[in-house]
Amino acid sequence: MKNKSIATVSIAISCVVLTVGIIMQLNTIKSFNDTVGGQDFYDSSLRDEVLRWKEKSDNTAKELENAEKELTRVREKSTENDDGLSATEQQIKDNYKLLGVTSLEGPGVEITVDDDNDINLTTSGPIIDVGNHIVHYFDIIHIVNELKNAGAEAISVNGQRIVRTTAIVCIGNVIMINDEKVGAPFTIRAIGLPEMLAPALTRSGGYLDYLKSWGLETDIKRLDKVQIPKYTGVFQAKYAKTVE
Amino acid sequence: MNKDKVILSIAIGIVCVILISVIFTQFKTIDEADIVGITTARDDELTAMLSTWKQKQEELQEQLDNTNQRIAEYNEKITSNQASEELLQEELEQTNLLTGQTDVVGEGVIVTLSDGEKSATITELLELINELRLAGAEAISINDQRIINMTEIVDTGGVILVNQERIVSPYVVKAIGDTKYLASALNSKNTGFIDSRRNSGLNIELEENANIKIYKYSGRREQLKFKYAKEVEE
Repeated sequence: MKNKSIATVSIAISCVVLTVGIIMQLNTIKSFNDTVGGQDFYDSSLRDEVLRWKEKSDNTAKELENAEKELTRVREKSTENDDGLSATEQQIKDNYKLLGVTSLEGPGVEITVDDDNDINLTTSGPIIDVGNHIVHYFDIIHIVNELKNAGAEAISVNGQRIVRTTAIVCIGNVIMINDEKVGAPFTIRAIGLPEMLAPALTRSGGYLDYLKSWGLETDIKRLDKVQIPKYTGVFQAKYAKTVE
Repeated sequence: MNKDKVILSIAIGIVCVILISVIFTQFKTIDEADIVGITTARDDELTAMLSTWKQKQEELQEQLDNTNQRIAEYNEKITSNQASEELLQEELEQTNLLTGQTDVVGEGVIVTLSDGEKSATITELLELINELRLAGAEAISINDQRIINMTEIVDTGGVILVNQERIVSPYVVKAIGDTKYLASALNSKNTGFIDSRRNSGLNIELEENANIKIYKYSGRREQLKFKYAKEVEE
């Protein structure tokens, strides 16, 4: 009889402990779901706001584009009867071309670089360092640098014009150029003499050669006509001032 | 009595097993709570994107206002039949400044890379310039060679050329921009350019300076005028 009551008491205690345990767990799960739910809601409103500002900025960019066309027109008109002024006007135009705020076309190359798609992450076997088989931001930096060295006049990567303020960075596992996300496969276009641009990259020991040795997919085409879009951002000189 | 005890024990046993397995299931669910970390990260990313687009919008609006004002000024000259020389000169100077064809002064940072256990290579120089651009540098030079849009940094068998001019260590990289912003971008603990390169054996010094002078581009003039690229008529 005494045994039985001891057993009952101990069962009761176990039950209480287990119940408390389960309730605690349930509470944690509930708050977890709340956060996720809340987060989702927050996410989508934040996402909406990002989209709204992007749209606003895109619209202003379009307006600016029209205004710039109009500026070019009135600038030309104001100098049409004066050779001296026309020369200055031409210099200004050349500067805008240099800056990258006009779309350009000319002979050049188109390079494609892609991750090594033969690497299958699910196959067992020797351990593969995936990092060696994907395109990194510094690969893009090196290719762009090689193209500049070979005399490229204008370069774009996945439609992003490379300008004097362009940073090519990796945030998480995403590559950002001019604050826009870009991903593999990468299409790099350059205007310049194709006979200079192509060998600079394909020569043995050149950068494409190097990427190929890691199994990355690379391709280069020499083209009579390559189109490169303009940069849609704004250049500022808030801190740098000209000195004589 | 004995039979009762056995039944009781079995019953307790079963209840225990059920409870334990329920608890394990719960623990598994809790493990998945780590997802919250990823959701938060995505949130940070969104916040960053939001400020980027807001800033971009502001800059574009400012540029749009300036452009419209310029158009009005040119139109005034045209209707009053006056020469637009002043306006042209102003625009030329502005674009010369932006393309690196003038000496400039302003606040910023001076980063000096010198040989330690390791020497700097073009990779470090390219990465440093990339970081400075990300932090909003308006003008950059390496050993007084101005870095313009199409400037290359190449290694030809141990000799580093910038704008086709040979440069040697120590590499003095000057950048004009928001001093605090430039410095903090390079100084981020462990992951920043300075810490990470110091850890790999390079000597790096960072100096904040309120009055830096960066010389204009002095390389080949043909770099400033395109031979192959023509404007696309839109």
